[in-house]
Amino acid sequence: MRLVKCWFCSSTIYPGHGIQFVRNDAKIFRFCRSKCHKNFKMKRNPRKVKWTKAFRAAHGKDMTKDKTFEFEKKRNRPERYDRNVTENTLKAIKKIDKIRSAREAKHIENRLKPNKQKKFNEDTKELNNQISLVRAPGVSEKVKVVVPKEKSIQNEAMEE
Amino acid sequence: MAAALASRFSRGRSLIGSLSNAFSGLMNSSNGIMNGNILSQQQQRTFIQMGTTLKVVDNSGAKEVKCIQSLKANKKGARLGDIIVGSVKEAIPKGKVKKGKVVYGVVVRAAMQKGRVDGSQVKFDDNAIVVVGIKEKKKKKPEENKKNKVEFNQPTGTRVFGPVPHEMRNKKQLKILALAQHMV
Repeated sequence: MRLVKCWFCSSTIYPGHGIQFVRNDAKIFRFCRSKCHKNFKMKRNPRKVKWTKAFRAAHGKDMTKDKTFEFEKKRNRPERYDRNVTENTLKAIKKIDKIRSAREAKHIENRLKPNKQKKFNEDTKELNNQISLVRAPGVSEKVKVVVPKEKSIQNEAMEE
Repeated sequence: MAAALASRFSRGRSLIGSLSNAFSGLMNSSNGIMNGNILSQQQQRTFIQMGTTLKVVDNSGAKEVKCIQSLKANKKGARLGDIIVGSVKEAIPKGKVKKGKVVYGVVVRAAMQKGRVDGSQVKFDDNAIVVVGIKEKKKKKPEENKKNKVEFNQPTGTRVFGPVPHEMRNKKQLKILALAQHMV
């Protein structure tokens, strides 16, 4: 018994589920359910279909590079049965699963957090470019204006 | 009338016979186009029956064979791994098998899905056979006719092209498995 991945959505296919399609070039496509199979028949590219794992990995939404994935590699050599090995493997599977899902959640959390450095850079750029909205360019802060008060009184007297 | 006929026959599976099955298939497809929604009409693959054209994937000489009879007792038709009797419709000029000959063939690839013992389903891209015997027109002597089961084990050709399923092992077609390039 072997658990395989769906070609379209990358979910695990358990025994008794799904359809296997063999193309004439001997390439095998396994599908977990008819949804994936029908999308394949429609010639949709899984890397462009939003709900698939292929899309999420290609667009950086999900974690792709991690050592926990190394444990799940396909191995073609059959293992000699050893009760201890089997027991330890089952325990390890649970533990690795926990660690991996924790790391994946952290990855998504980091992605959703507002990026402080980026925000700071954007703000300073905006400020430097559009400072003219706040102050007039090329003008110092204190401006001296000379108002001639006495002259005006004199003019009034002369006019009379 | 077309709608009534289409509603009477279940999609892809005919209750009456081979010819009416093809007819109802035609009806369904034309109805689909009339409805304007071709995508929702998923192709329902069925058995290999009289009139089905199959590709020949060995170097026996034949290229295309039209099924005359399925040797399986199943009245619906032949599936993956069954033996059929066919008429050679197209052949290469200098081959062992000539056009117009009646041949026996084993279905090595079928578009209809076949269930496997682990619960999964397998399906291929096309319908293909390997020629395992040629029918002779001569009348056989009564002694020879006493042989009840004729085993169609030995393919006429020497090479098999494309993928071949494991079902051949169950059907005792070991020679075909030996000649196969890919096993699925």
